[in-house]
Amino acid sequence: MTPTTKTPSKKEIQNVLKECETHNKKHHCFTTLCKEEAQKQKKAKGTLSGIYISVKDNICVKDVETTAGSHILKGYLPKFDATTIQKLKEEGATIIGKTSCDAFGFGSFNTNVGKGFSIPKNPHDTKRTTGGSSGGSAAITQLATFPHVSLAESTGGSIACPASFCGIIGLTPTYGRVSRYGLIPYANSLDKIGIMSKKVSEIEPILKVISGFDEKDGTSLKEPLNLNAPKKLRIGIIKESYAKGIDPEIQKALKSILTKLKQKHTITEISLPLTTTYGVACYYILATSEASTNLACLSGLRYGQELPKKNKGFNSYFTEVRTKSFNQESKRRIMIGTFTRMAGYRDAYYIKATKVRTKIIQEYKKAFKTYDVLISPTMPFIAPTFSNIDKMTPLQNYLSDILTVGSNLAGLPHASIPIGKKEGMPIGLLAITDHLKEGTLLQTLKEIEALQ
Amino acid sequence: MKFTTDIVIGLEIHAELDTQTKLFCSCATKGNQQPNTRCCPICLGHPGTRPVLNKKALDYATKLCLALGSKLTKEIVFSRKNYFYPDMSKNYQITQFEEPIGTGGTITLKTGRKIQLTRIHIEEDPAALAYTHGMKNSDSVLVDYNRAGNPLVEIVTEPQLTSPAEARDFLNRLISVLGYLNIFDITRGIIKADANISLKESNYSRVEIKNISGFKEIEKALTYEITRQKTQLRRGLKITRETRGWNPTSKTTLSLRTKETEADYGYILEPDLSLITLTDELIHLMKKEIPELAQQKSERYQREHKLSKEDADVMSMELELAQLFEKVATKIDPKLAARWLRRELLRVLNYNKKTTKEIQFNEKEIIELLSLVQTNTISETTAQKLMEQLMEKPFSPKEHIKKHNLEQVTNEKEIETLCKETIKEHPQAVKDYHAGEQKSLHYLLGQIMKKTRGKAEPTKTTKILKKELKKKEL
Amino acid sequence: MKIDTELIQKIATLAHLELTEEEVKTFKKDFKEILNTFSILDRIDVKGTKSSFRPLEQKNILREDKIKPSLTQKETLSFTKDHKDGFFIGPKTIE
Repeated sequence: MTPTTKTPSKKEIQNVLKECETHNKKHHCFTTLCKEEAQKQKKAKGTLSGIYISVKDNICVKDVETTAGSHILKGYLPKFDATTIQKLKEEGATIIGKTSCDAFGFGSFNTNVGKGFSIPKNPHDTKRTTGGSSGGSAAITQLATFPHVSLAESTGGSIACPASFCGIIGLTPTYGRVSRYGLIPYANSLDKIGIMSKKVSEIEPILKVISGFDEKDGTSLKEPLNLNAPKKLRIGIIKESYAKGIDPEIQKALKSILTKLKQKHTITEISLPLTTTYGVACYYILATSEASTNLACLSGLRYGQELPKKNKGFNSYFTEVRTKSFNQESKRRIMIGTFTRMAGYRDAYYIKATKVRTKIIQEYKKAFKTYDVLISPTMPFIAPTFSNIDKMTPLQNYLSDILTVGSNLAGLPHASIPIGKKEGMPIGLLAITDHLKEGTLLQTLKEIEALQ
Repeated sequence: MKFTTDIVIGLEIHAELDTQTKLFCSCATKGNQQPNTRCCPICLGHPGTRPVLNKKALDYATKLCLALGSKLTKEIVFSRKNYFYPDMSKNYQITQFEEPIGTGGTITLKTGRKIQLTRIHIEEDPAALAYTHGMKNSDSVLVDYNRAGNPLVEIVTEPQLTSPAEARDFLNRLISVLGYLNIFDITRGIIKADANISLKESNYSRVEIKNISGFKEIEKALTYEITRQKTQLRRGLKITRETRGWNPTSKTTLSLRTKETEADYGYILEPDLSLITLTDELIHLMKKEIPELAQQKSERYQREHKLSKEDADVMSMELELAQLFEKVATKIDPKLAARWLRRELLRVLNYNKKTTKEIQFNEKEIIELLSLVQTNTISETTAQKLMEQLMEKPFSPKEHIKKHNLEQVTNEKEIETLCKETIKEHPQAVKDYHAGEQKSLHYLLGQIMKKTRGKAEPTKTTKILKKELKKKEL
Repeated sequence: MKIDTELIQKIATLAHLELTEEEVKTFKKDFKEILNTFSILDRIDVKGTKSSFRPLEQKNILREDKIKPSLTQKETLSFTKDHKDGFFIGPKTIE
C-alpha cells in the first residue's frame, strides 16, 4: 500500500471492486460489496486518499447493509456511520465492502456464520479456516493487490487469530483507543476496533486517523496516541508459550525469531500464571454475560427480522423470532451468559470474573514494570482444516483462545505478525505492550518484520 | 422486620426529571407530540449505539438526595436490568442497582412523623404503549418511543406508611421538594408509583401493586387494595404474596404474578458508561443551589410570624404560594395574610381548578386588597368577591372600590340611622328578639347588609343594633 | 452443581429461546463441560479485590443537556414494515 493522496477514478474503483468479486467467489471474504456506495461516496482529499478499506460487518456504515454476520440483522441499513468510518471517509479513504465474520463475533474459526452467509476460506488453503471472528478481513488483506487495509474488531482475539492463520499483521490497540460508536457489540468491556494490513508501515496512518476521544463513546480514551518507542526493547517471552498443547513447530519458529531479536534487545522469560490459568474462564464468563444482554434488543421489533404477524403474546413472539433467527453458537453464548448472571449464580460467575479480571490486569501491569513487550505465539496451532474443526467440541473451540484472551481481558495493545510457516500455513507471533504503548508495539512489529 | 401497625405501606415513586434532553441521548424530552418523532438510534436501541449520561440529570438527582438527606454515593455506576417487554427498546433498562446515587433520607409528614427512605436512584423511562381495542382485546400493541429514555428518579421508602391518606401526604411533601428544587415539571411530568401493602390481619403478607400513574390514583389504588384484602380475609381466604397491577379504568387491581414466577433481572454493570465520581466541588455547588425548603419555611413562619402550624404548613407547601406569602407579609399583618391566602386564595383556585403557578395577578393586587381589609375600608364579604374577580382578570382593588363605591360603612352615626330604620321596618322580628329569639338578631343584621350591599362594618353594626334594640325594650 | 433439563429450560425461558429436545441434550452436555472449566475460578481468592468492569477507566464522561436533532418519524419507522399511524406495531402485552 503506497498512499497516493490521489482521489481514485471511477475506473480504478471499478477495478478494485472487480478484483474483490473474484476473491469473493473463491474465498467468501465479503458479506456485502459497496458497488454503488464506493462510487457515490464523497471523496475528501486527505491522508488516506487512494486507500481502499474493507470493514468487518459488525461496524456500521451508513446505508450499507450491516449485519454483524447474523441472519437476524439481514437487511439492516444503519442511518449513521460508525465514528471510525466517518473519520476514514473524511481522510479520503474508500470503503469497499463489509467482511465476513462469525455472527456477532462468536467464534475463532469464522465457521459460526449466520444463516445464509458463506464461510470464508483461507487464502493459503481453501480447505482451512481463515480464523475468526474477523476472518473475511484477514482473507481479503492477504489477497488484495491494491492499496488496502481492513478495519477489524477483537473481543477475545478476533483480530490476532485470523491474522495469524492468514499470515498478515493484525493490530488491536488499547481498549478505548478507538471509538466503539457504531460497533455492534459482542462484549462492550472487551470490544476493540483494530487494523489488519500486509505491512507494518500501513498501520500507522490508519491508527492516527481512527484514534481519539469520541464524545459519543464514554469509554474512549482522552490520552493522545503515543507513537514513541524505546530503541532497545526489554522483551519478555511468556513461559507458557512452550507449554504442552502448543505445536512444537510453532515453538521452533518462535525460538528462531527470538535468537535474532536477542542480538539487539534483551530477552528473558516471564511467567503469567494467573492469566494462563484463569484467562479463558474469566473471558468467556464476562464476554457471554455482556453478549447475552447486548443481543436482547434483537427480538423482532423496530428493526431486523420480524414475523409477518405480531398477534401473539410478547414472550411467545420474541421467543419465536429469536429461536428462528439465531444460529447455534449465538444461542449457546446467550444461554451461557444468561446463566452466569442469573440470581443464585451471579456472584460465583459474573461478579467473581470481574474480580479475577482485576488480578489478571495487575499481573500484566506488574510485568510491564520490567518489560516493554511480551511475546508468545498467537495461536497454539496453524489454521485447522474445516473437517478438523467439525470434530471439536465447543469447549475445545474456546480453549484455542488461550494465548489471546489475556491481552484482550486487560485491554492491552497487541498484534499478531507472521514469523514463518508450517506445511505452507502461516505462523503468527503475538506481541503485547502496556496500555497506551501503541508506539512500542509498532516498533516491535517493525523489528520483527525487518528480520524476515 | 417487625411490624406493629394495622396497615404497612411502602412506596417506590418514579418522577421524571425536567431536563431538556433524554438521560442517555440528545433527543428532546418534550415538544412534538406525534409518535416516534423524538427518537434516535440510541433511544431506539439500535445496535452499535452507546449511551452517554446527561449531566443535568445527574445534577438534579444529586440535589434531590441532598434535599432529602440521602447519603450520596462517591461513585456513580449504572446497571442493565434485563427483561423483555414491548416498551423496552433494548430489552434491558439502564438503571442503578448495586449502588444507588442516594441511600437513606427522610420525609417528614404533616403529623411530624418521619418516613425513612431506603434509596434514590436514576433510571431511564420505557416507551409508551397504546392499544387500539384495550389491553385485553387488541391483537397487537402500538409503541411510541418518544418517552423512551426520559430521565427518572426512583424514590423508595421503607414500609412505614400506615394509611392511604398518609401515603398521599407523603407524596404531597415529596412533590413539594421536587417543586422547590425546580427539577420536576408538575404541569407535564408524571408521577408513577409501585406500592407494597401488608395487613396485620394477613400476618403482613406482602402484595405489590405495579404501575400506578398519577398521585391521586395512588391513594385510590391503596384504598381499593386494602378493602379487597380485608374482604378476602373476612371470607376466610388467604392473602398470598403476589404482584398485582392497577387498572385505572375499572379502578381495581388484578394479579400479575405470584412469588414463584418472580422475575430474574440478571443485572450486569452497564459497560458503556464511564464511572462518574461525585466530587466535593459538585456537591458543594449543588448544595448552594438548594433553596429553603417547605419544612424549614413552615418552622420559620411559625417562629417569625407566629403563624399556626396549619397555616404555616399550607403557606410553605408550594414554592409559588410561599413566595407570594413572603412578599405580602412584608406589607400586611402575616397572620391576616396567611388566613386570607389559605382560605380565600386557595378556595378560589380550587373552584377554578387552577394551580398557584397559573395565578395571573401578582403580590401588588393582593397587598392592596388585604390592606383594604386590614384598615377596615372594605368588608370581608366585599374582599371575598374581589378575590374571585381578580382570578379572572387582574385589576387594582383600590381603584375598583372607589369606582364602585364599595367602601365599608364605619361611621357610627350612619350605622345608628340604619339600625333605627331597620328596627322600625321589622316590628315582628324585634318582638321575637325581645322574647329571646337570638335568630332574629341575625335576621335584622342581614337586612342591614342587604340595604348596604354588604358594606356595613359587621362588628360595629352588631354592637349598635344591640344597643338600639335594648332602648326599644325599655 | 446439577445441570438438568429444568435448569436448561429455565435459562432458555429467560433468554427467550425455545429449545428442541435435541438442543436441550446438547446444551446439557456443553454446559457440563464448560461450567466445569469455569469452576477453576473457585480456586482463586479474590477477597478484597475490586471488580474491573473495564480494563481501564475513563472517568466522568458526561453530556451537556443540549437538544440535537432526532430522526424523522419516517426515518425511525423505515427499519420495519410493521407500523401504523406513526406507531411501531408490537406483540400483545398479554399472553
